[in-house]
Amino acid sequence: MFGQQNGLSLDQAPPIRVIFRFFLIASLFGMGGGIWLAVFAGDIMTERSALLALTHIFTLGIMASFMIGALFQMLPVIAGVVIRSPLPKSLVFTLAFVPGTMSLVAVFGGYQEELLYTVAFILLGFALFLLIVIMLPGLLSVTHHTPSSKGMTIALTAFAFTFIPGLYMTGILGGFFDGSNYTIIRAIHYGFGLEGWIALLIVSISFQVIEMFYVTPPYPPLVAKYFTTLVLSLLILKVPLLLYGSESSAAAVDTVIGILLLLFALITLRRLSQRKRSVTDASLWFWRLGMGNLIAVVVSALLLKLGSFGWMLGVLYISFVFFALSIVFAMFYKIVPFLTWFHLNAEGYFSAPMMHEVIAPSNARRHFWLHLVTLTTLLLSFALPALFRLGGILLILSFGVIAWHILSAGKLYEDTKLKGEKFDLGMGMQG
Amino acid sequence: MRRLYLDARNMEHPVPLEKSIEALRELDNESYFYMLHRKNPVPLIAMVQKQGLSYITEQEHEDLWHILIAVDHDIDLEKLVERLG
Repeated sequence: MFGQQNGLSLDQAPPIRVIFRFFLIASLFGMGGGIWLAVFAGDIMTERSALLALTHIFTLGIMASFMIGALFQMLPVIAGVVIRSPLPKSLVFTLAFVPGTMSLVAVFGGYQEELLYTVAFILLGFALFLLIVIMLPGLLSVTHHTPSSKGMTIALTAFAFTFIPGLYMTGILGGFFDGSNYTIIRAIHYGFGLEGWIALLIVSISFQVIEMFYVTPPYPPLVAKYFTTLVLSLLILKVPLLLYGSESSAAAVDTVIGILLLLFALITLRRLSQRKRSVTDASLWFWRLGMGNLIAVVVSALLLKLGSFGWMLGVLYISFVFFALSIVFAMFYKIVPFLTWFHLNAEGYFSAPMMHEVIAPSNARRHFWLHLVTLTTLLLSFALPALFRLGGILLILSFGVIAWHILSAGKLYEDTKLKGEKFDLGMGMQG
Repeated sequence: MRRLYLDARNMEHPVPLEKSIEALRELDNESYFYMLHRKNPVPLIAMVQKQGLSYITEQEHEDLWHILIAVDHDIDLEKLVERLG
């Protein structure tokens, strides 16, 4: 097959600052979460509101920021969906999303001002609407989906299904709606958010990147083709079961989803062991740790169905957080050096730093060990609650490292553009 | 005619792209770049298009692409493809 390919135009790739800004916001929320944990460590085990605030710092502030930033970059590359004017669109989204999230966290965290519910309701509602308008129509119009692009569409749909009941609950708390079905709506919100949006987006991206980054055999075709659709279908099936009070059937559906996620984790670990090259880097270990945590999530969730173990819920919570964070960090150490290097090369800078000069592999390895120590400390905190404070400090350090990497990469990019020497492959070196 | 050769079939992303750009900087009118890859390297081709270089891509089978790039548009790249069979 000779001829030109209809590849991605470099002009269609979003400016690097769009992605870096999302990542920086996520890392600042992460540091904020660490401060919260360090300061309110004593309340985590006893005060539901403190846990709720921390949960939304994680799901909205950290995970949504990282994942939406990654989607701005990946939609054109993986799905061929071009986002026009990404800079102003992402800025408007951020200006609604960040104060909306902060309002929600503040009110959950004990700052009982009803106006904050209203602010969160309006700002987060607007941010969701904007995100859906920016991304979903393009994804839905893709005619030839890859497993990744289809999965991203499904994950984004699950995000909408997460957000809508979330807004509804915020509306209940703000006095806009009556409180009927609150518990059921909350279960739907959790299901679509954790098993749908976060887990399915990671699954979708792994279909593309595991083979590409680590030179492994592809996922089994049946898994790649049907996994995300099946999980979304099960999540949708769970809604009427919850609404009509069939809790045991809904729990059975949850078990099936858990087993599917367990299989995914085992297949991914198997694929990572089938690499054609024995080269390892920190991102590979982040992937392994992430999949190990996903297995811990499913096992602890299944054990919780058999009986109540006080500490098991804590293990489930921490394992899910570190499943998602580990994969985000794995992707971070691939995306940030690549984007810095790629944008500079695409713009013709001869003196563009190599990828390993953007973030030194030794620094990424050190961060992996810090991440592992943080995980261990937080798991031990359920036996020794005094360790929560240390866990919070370690989280501040961990996200501080991420923020520092982003700022350093951004500075390197700007410095190279300011002082760098340009080249033209077709015409030789230029001054 | 000098050939700059890169077999990137077992290299993890984005190493092939990094090595390709290093090689492209060495190209002159008497040389061409020849790469084997398991995928069609879309970002590389986009950069090559932007730089106005001559190129062809040929898919021999599902996991094997031949990518040839030259500065001189008079070089007949199609004739230089070496199918592995």
